[in-house]
Amino acid sequence: LAGPPSPPGQDPHGWRVPVDCVRANELCAAEPSCSSRYRTLRQCLAGRDRNTMLANKECQAALEVLQESPLYDCRCKRGMKKELQCLQIYWSIHLGLTEGEEFYEASPYEPVTSRLSDIFRLASIFSGMDPATNSKSNHCLDAAKACNLNDNCKRLRSGYISTCSKEISATEHCSRRKCHKALRQFFDRVPSEYTYRLLFCSCKDQACAERRRQTIVPSCSYEDKEKPNCLDLRNTCRTDHLCRSRLADFHTNCQASFQSLTSCPGDNYQACLGSYAGLIAGFDMTPNYIDASTTSITISPWCSCKGSGNMEEECEKFLQDFTENPCLRNAIQAFGNGTDVNLSP
Amino acid sequence: AAFGLYFPRKEYSENVYIDQPAGTPLLRIHALRDAHGEVAHFHLCQNLIISRARSHENHWFQIREKTGLLYLSKSLDREDFNMLSVGSWMPLSKVMLYVFLSSHPFEEKECDSATRTTVFLSLINATAPACGSLTARQHCFTEMDLSFHIKENKPPGTFHQLQLPSVHHLCQNLSISYKLLAAEGMPFRYNENTTSVSVTQHLDREERERYELIAKCTVREGFREMQVEVPFLVNVLDEDDSPPFLPNGTDTADAVVEFNRKEGTVLATLTVYDADTTPIYPLESSRKKYTGTIITDDPWISETFRVEHIFDEIHFSPNGSQVRGTRHEYKLVLNKSISVTEHRSFQLDVLVNDTEFRGPERSVMLHFNVSILPVSIQFPNVTYQFTVNRNAERFAQIGKICIENCMKFRGVNITYKLLSPNVSCYPVSILQGREDKYGSLYVNDSSVLRRPECKEIQYTIQATDKQSRKHTKTLLAIVLEGNLLKKEEDCPDSCAVSKHHAECEECGGLGVLTGRCQWRQGSGKGITTNYSTCTPSIKTCPDGICDVIESKDPAVCPQDCTSGNIIGGHGKGTGNLGIKSGHGICYCFPRQNCYCEKDDIKEQLCDDVCKTVI
Repeated sequence: LAGPPSPPGQDPHGWRVPVDCVRANELCAAEPSCSSRYRTLRQCLAGRDRNTMLANKECQAALEVLQESPLYDCRCKRGMKKELQCLQIYWSIHLGLTEGEEFYEASPYEPVTSRLSDIFRLASIFSGMDPATNSKSNHCLDAAKACNLNDNCKRLRSGYISTCSKEISATEHCSRRKCHKALRQFFDRVPSEYTYRLLFCSCKDQACAERRRQTIVPSCSYEDKEKPNCLDLRNTCRTDHLCRSRLADFHTNCQASFQSLTSCPGDNYQACLGSYAGLIAGFDMTPNYIDASTTSITISPWCSCKGSGNMEEECEKFLQDFTENPCLRNAIQAFGNGTDVNLSP
Repeated sequence: AAFGLYFPRKEYSENVYIDQPAGTPLLRIHALRDAHGEVAHFHLCQNLIISRARSHENHWFQIREKTGLLYLSKSLDREDFNMLSVGSWMPLSKVMLYVFLSSHPFEEKECDSATRTTVFLSLINATAPACGSLTARQHCFTEMDLSFHIKENKPPGTFHQLQLPSVHHLCQNLSISYKLLAAEGMPFRYNENTTSVSVTQHLDREERERYELIAKCTVREGFREMQVEVPFLVNVLDEDDSPPFLPNGTDTADAVVEFNRKEGTVLATLTVYDADTTPIYPLESSRKKYTGTIITDDPWISETFRVEHIFDEIHFSPNGSQVRGTRHEYKLVLNKSISVTEHRSFQLDVLVNDTEFRGPERSVMLHFNVSILPVSIQFPNVTYQFTVNRNAERFAQIGKICIENCMKFRGVNITYKLLSPNVSCYPVSILQGREDKYGSLYVNDSSVLRRPECKEIQYTIQATDKQSRKHTKTLLAIVLEGNLLKKEEDCPDSCAVSKHHAECEECGGLGVLTGRCQWRQGSGKGITTNYSTCTPSIKTCPDGICDVIESKDPAVCPQDCTSGNIIGGHGKGTGNLGIKSGHGICYCFPRQNCYCEKDDIKEQLCDDVCKTVI
């Protein structure tokens, strides 16, 4: 279904479809010149910044050789086997080559080529995802029913719900770590025609919107005693390969742009919704609906910009990518209404 | 920072089109000074950053060292475009370059100065638009919002030019003029000849930290006139220019240590305000910036106390506009548990230091009047007397033993012990939970209760403080009463097995006080904490706590202690123990499952149809 992405304008320089980093690492290990250069580069990158590294002849040479190897362009797939190992290889190269703390990082994941309409097509097989249903219907309740009729969805959903609502002791109200892990399994292993319907159902009344807000069991996976500062939270997230990757993926696919009709990069709603779902249980960066309002959809991670000092502008900018993001909002509304962008060929 | 020149923006952005001629100006970058007389020198690094860590040598862009004008030195043809777009998935590719700033002319191409700003150039896969095809908005402003930051207490200077060099270059015969609205009374000036905006005086963040103006642009083409307005924001950056001060001059607090002697107890808190902001992130450097140190040469004091510092953001309004400040809280905390025999008073001083403030009043002294009072370990003056029914079963809870003020104690470990009497009658024992401040008396040997020669038993109870080995004793009398009831046959050993009111009160079971189980009638509304159940004593079971005596045997109170399955509508208790709430009647088979279910509606034995038949 999804062919290799083709770049804008045919590329005379031999466009390579990226392999995944685990495979690229195997290919590189089989080749003595590549593997020794890769080792050299990793030593170069260890604890040095880009510019001192590039000043060193040996490092420079290693980099030039590796730019031609599959390792340099490799990517990972979400929920793939050995995903963590793949991300580890990706960041082992890219952490030292990017300029350190950038506001937006490029996603290590392969670009999403499927569209929302593909999901609607699949969804219409098992239920009338007809937007013209009567006004009495509760889409979030229908989504829960649809999930319960599918063995896989039902098993993983009840799995995370029971994990996230298990009280440990009087002081510890649940195990957040286990809850996040169970949520990750649900969003990685259940097809998106089920998970998106639970997460992005459209609502006309408060009971429905509250059900939507409760989808990820926010009392355990989202809320905390105190709200940390968003930049502090981002920093914590970036110390973890998985969280960092999911956040970079969200920034890549949901970054609002003025260049497109929908405000989404490449007008791809599906890619943005997928990155959003991938960020859930991305540890403490988990986003959620902040209230059960039916009129306005506001999404935010559990953080605030209090105490940002001179970095307040940067903090607000980071937070607004969740709270006031036209791309994310349009994508969620489009899914709720069952409409996708008609791409003119 | 070694030198203080800085950029008023973190990022700039502009579009670049195919085949734009060399010499096309792209954008103007400004620098602001830290001290009078500094001269800014701009320069570019020789590498362009393409997406994903790829870089390419820069052949196309240059910057005027003195003016900060970025321009095309070589036109980009389609081949250059294709080369620079490799590795980009987006239909729109961007390249990044860094502009560096220095107060002296650049000797060599150094690319590691900390003072840099990022320029994003969007490569548009088309030739440059004709002047006539641009909208009024495109004539006037780029897509990036007009938002700047200026440091407080710095000399005035120019920080932005409203006119777009690229548009001005393209549309020579259009008249485009700008105005800055809402600028009256603000420290900014707009120069119409150069369309540049300057700050005219030192700013003070503690007075105002945000200025919101409007940039208005008018495009005239013959008789047509179009106007565009966009917000123009200036944020003032903070530096440490305010000393710490005390609210209402309060610099003293009393700290009394009596019953609560546990490590980690907060004894007193004093607050210090500062008009400067203190960033939460990164936390460690802020902690170093503001310190609180105990001033003492007594090693005992420095071992026993510590100071904890937390701070958060507060707002104050100097003249109508909201400004952020910081509230620092210094808490005096016990660093270790203090023995009950300790008795002393002294003043403890804490020096608070705002390390980055360059002034004489950078520190304040806080005083804590500490009094450590001794606590006596003694029983209340009455002797304990408990009556126990002769029909009580093993694990029946008789009462609690507690020295004076024991429930207020924290960090004091008291253990209770029964010194055995020299008689053969010995029915009760004492138990204590790991965290319990009291001892629980319970029946340990119910056969003794049935022996007629045992009537009143005298014990001595001893309470000992673990740390100081201090102890105290008192007398306890256990009086046996009541007539022996006949034991029912085939009764289970646990009350919780019974499902019905009648069978519950016919039987005894482990933990009963008077030989019979008790029935708790619930409210019967859905799944509730008040469910119906059969229990040895309503006072202690189910109360949501699996206490030390109940946990001795799973048959005593499975409603509080079960860790097995619960079948039916229910909610589990804390730590997955017990039945917190249930539907209808809950009953349990110890060491097996529990069940919660609605009582079946009893059918009439003989309804109308059956009567007629008869």
